[in-house]
Amino acid sequence: MSDVATRVKQVVAETLEIDASQIGDTDRFVEDLGAESIQSVELVAAFEEEFDIDMDSEGALGVKAIDGAVDFIAKAVAEQHPG
Amino acid sequence: MPDIAYLPLSPAQIDTLGAAGCMAADWSRVQVTPNFNPEHVVRVQFAGEIRLGNCDGQVAGSNGLSKPAGIYDAYIANCTVGDGVRIARIGSHLSGYRIGDGACIEDVGVLQADSESTFGNGVQVETLNEGGGREVTLFNELSAQFAYLQCLVRWRPRLVEKLAHLADQEVKSARSDRGTIGRQATICSVARIENVNLGDSTAVRGAISLVNGTILSCAEAPTVVGAGVIAEDFIIAEGSRVTEGAILGKSFVGQACQIGKQFSAEGSLFFANCEGFHGEACSVFAGPYTVTHHKSTLLIAGLLSFYNAGSGTNQSNHMYKLGPVHEGKLERGCKTGSFSYLMWPCRVGPFSVVLGKHTRTFDTRDFPFSHIEAKANGRCEMVPGLYLSTVGTVRDGQKWPARDRRTAPNRRDLIDFDVFSPLTVGRMLRGTARLKELMKTTDRSVKVVTIEGAEVRRVLLRTGVKYYRAGIEMYLLERLISRVERAREAGNQNLANCLSVDSQAIFSGEWIDLAGQLMPQDRFETLCARIETGQIDSIHDLQKKLTEIHSCYEKDEWAWTVWAYQQHFGREVSSMTTDDLKAAAKAWQGVRTKFLKLILNDASKEFESVTQTGFGIDPEPSQREADFIGVRGTYEENKFVQQIEEEIAEVARRVEAI
Repeated sequence: MSDVATRVKQVVAETLEIDASQIGDTDRFVEDLGAESIQSVELVAAFEEEFDIDMDSEGALGVKAIDGAVDFIAKAVAEQHPG
Repeated sequence: MPDIAYLPLSPAQIDTLGAAGCMAADWSRVQVTPNFNPEHVVRVQFAGEIRLGNCDGQVAGSNGLSKPAGIYDAYIANCTVGDGVRIARIGSHLSGYRIGDGACIEDVGVLQADSESTFGNGVQVETLNEGGGREVTLFNELSAQFAYLQCLVRWRPRLVEKLAHLADQEVKSARSDRGTIGRQATICSVARIENVNLGDSTAVRGAISLVNGTILSCAEAPTVVGAGVIAEDFIIAEGSRVTEGAILGKSFVGQACQIGKQFSAEGSLFFANCEGFHGEACSVFAGPYTVTHHKSTLLIAGLLSFYNAGSGTNQSNHMYKLGPVHEGKLERGCKTGSFSYLMWPCRVGPFSVVLGKHTRTFDTRDFPFSHIEAKANGRCEMVPGLYLSTVGTVRDGQKWPARDRRTAPNRRDLIDFDVFSPLTVGRMLRGTARLKELMKTTDRSVKVVTIEGAEVRRVLLRTGVKYYRAGIEMYLLERLISRVERAREAGNQNLANCLSVDSQAIFSGEWIDLAGQLMPQDRFETLCARIETGQIDSIHDLQKKLTEIHSCYEKDEWAWTVWAYQQHFGREVSSMTTDDLKAAAKAWQGVRTKFLKLILNDASKEFESVTQTGFGIDPEPSQREADFIGVRGTYEENKFVQQIEEEIAEVARRVEAI
């Protein structure tokens, strides 16, 4: 598992107050992990802090699952912190 | 009523009346118009001074049936009856009224005006603070703005005194020894009406008891009081409907309101376009567009406007100490979710949504558009600015002006509808400063910070700043572009000219929301000073001044925008070049388009598979999506979505034109 994926799961676990080991690679935030609408905002904020990135709100709120978040964040990190 | 020459009854007319079962203690006190027709007066007893119109023609009855004018089966004392009036089946008596032409009064128990009454004018309403100290005087010309001044500005005793004087003048002018039933008014199947004035075209059908009040009404905006209504010490304004068992005590219902379905209100004021069904209001100052539709909803001791109460919404205003002395404010545009509870005192910033049971005091005035949710321990948790870019906010902004039902020639309440204004954007500027300060001073190990009683997760401080920055920039740039567009449309091509502040504009950093009317703090201060010094010495003068301020809104708003632009962007608007303007237009396109796309994103949630959960019938899960589409349609076909997409294209066109 990539470092980004591990950190994403850690952030999700802390924000949603669930066990990180219970989070699957393709789990959906709402249907599988029980995230509420407000928590999706908090997740974006927590990802931004964890990875020191600025996430485009429209794109970020379109991400529905862990694997999508990992891809989105990896891309943002690469763009905003090249090298 | 115009001066009419009345004549004594002729002997032949008295004979005709007597033959029809009519009686009078003294026929000489019964006077009639020259064209009086005694044939349509049957089984009537007259007492005191009576003046009768022609008693001829047809009257439009309450059920739409045309009925003959005349007086049938009634005891009438001290009344003046206009032409073409129908009075029938008065159970006890009709006394002390001037009845306008074409009125229809049928099946009424008691309809009387005492020797001297003010008809609800002068009633003191303990609004906002149930313990008293903020009384508002009822009078016919009461506006949301006057009520706000009298209720809220208690730190200026001279103003309080002068406002009371202005109200008293109105109360005095309402005093009369006769009640009035206006032209074309209809009263039917009513048990009791005492000391109530009814305006032209009023329709009272099936009410139980109306005591000490005025029903303002006119042909352009008829007022309806319906079945089962009980009202005492009240004024109901033009175009309103108070129906279906509503109960009013010491309350004011402003223009074009709807109160019904057993709603009860005590000590409350409702201004333009309010709606109250099923629930209860106690000592509530309901500014324009306050809406409560559901059962088990108690609004108490609150200042509200553009407000929507979810079912079971509840507040409480005392803690078993000195009585019901607490009060709270939900600033314009707030919503409270189902079974939300607020323990006053609290203050919620504009356009926020309140969820859950709040048992702790908080003040989020500087954080508009926020999500305010109670945690399990009753403490308030806030997500600043969350509702800036949600579908609901946009729809509200569109629907209020479209739903202004007022049709009376004079609209007493002055309303500025803008969601984004110096008031809300000013609050965003203040909120941003506070959030930034907290970001600087809060260690990363801290999970939650508390702002005036509201907890904010530290990671969301930055999110709040982002949201507010987008809102502030969208507003400032949009105002700039609109200003230039309007000036160019008016033939002004000189950029410096069209960006300059109007000479009549007043600038204040702070703006006030005077129960629906927005104005700079300085205008508010000047207004109060003029009342205090007697320069404004009548309700008419005050309304004129408020209307003048209202007409200066755009000028004042631009003065504020110029200042805020400099504050936020560090650029003087007055020194902008054409290239600067084009760059600003591009920036506006970017932020506005992004905002609109977020709205679309929010709208799209209404079409996600999770939203379809309740649709379809078992055991046919495959039908769920088809059922959902059959009921809700598709995202692409949704009118709101199409409208937002069109606006994105329109923004591009406007920027191109700049």
